[in-house]
Amino acid sequence: MIYSDIALDAVIFAILIDLFVIRTQLITKGIFWLTYLVILPFQLITNWWLTSKNIVRYSPSQIIGRRIAGAPVEDLLFGFSMIVLTLSSWEFFSKRDNHDL
Amino acid sequence: MTHLHYLGVLLFVMLCAGFIATAFKPRAPHFWRSFLYTDSVILVLYLTWDFWAISKKNWFFDSKQILNFNLLPRVPMEEVLFFIIVPFTSILTYLSLKKLTGWRVDSE
Repeated sequence: MIYSDIALDAVIFAILIDLFVIRTQLITKGIFWLTYLVILPFQLITNWWLTSKNIVRYSPSQIIGRRIAGAPVEDLLFGFSMIVLTLSSWEFFSKRDNHDL
Repeated sequence: MTHLHYLGVLLFVMLCAGFIATAFKPRAPHFWRSFLYTDSVILVLYLTWDFWAISKKNWFFDSKQILNFNLLPRVPMEEVLFFIIVPFTSILTYLSLKKLTGWRVDSE
């Protein structure tokens, strides 16, 4: 299991949680994709910053080698999975708080 | 100063959060409680992944550009802060865009 495999699994995991486990189904809503579109350029800036200054480095054997804004493409999967899980968990917990379930 | 490089990136994200918070004033009932629950999920999942990835040398950090202070074995303190600050800023962005567009998540 290299970074590429885990990153893809993380995306699948996040989508399954959102759609079928906590059923927030955020990835079917426009507001989710708008938020992702706004966050993405900022992710690219921080990725570029962290990798161009070599603050973080990746083992070449653990990635497929294609890079976007200096960082491995796998980082986009990593970021996407984290945004899905963050926002769907947020919806789940903030709704639960309001309805006192 | 070199040791503050990673912290500098995090400061940039925090400044973005500060801008969003003052410009758009996103609000939610029980914000901090919901954030605490949400971020606990993220911290557990992603710090586990981070610990594993660092152990397997999927990625590694330049010890000259971090504080070298670990709250968890092998995982730099900056990573813990990353998994607090980034979800926090993402949620502020999400709430602000909801407020600005009026788009809702529930279909009724």
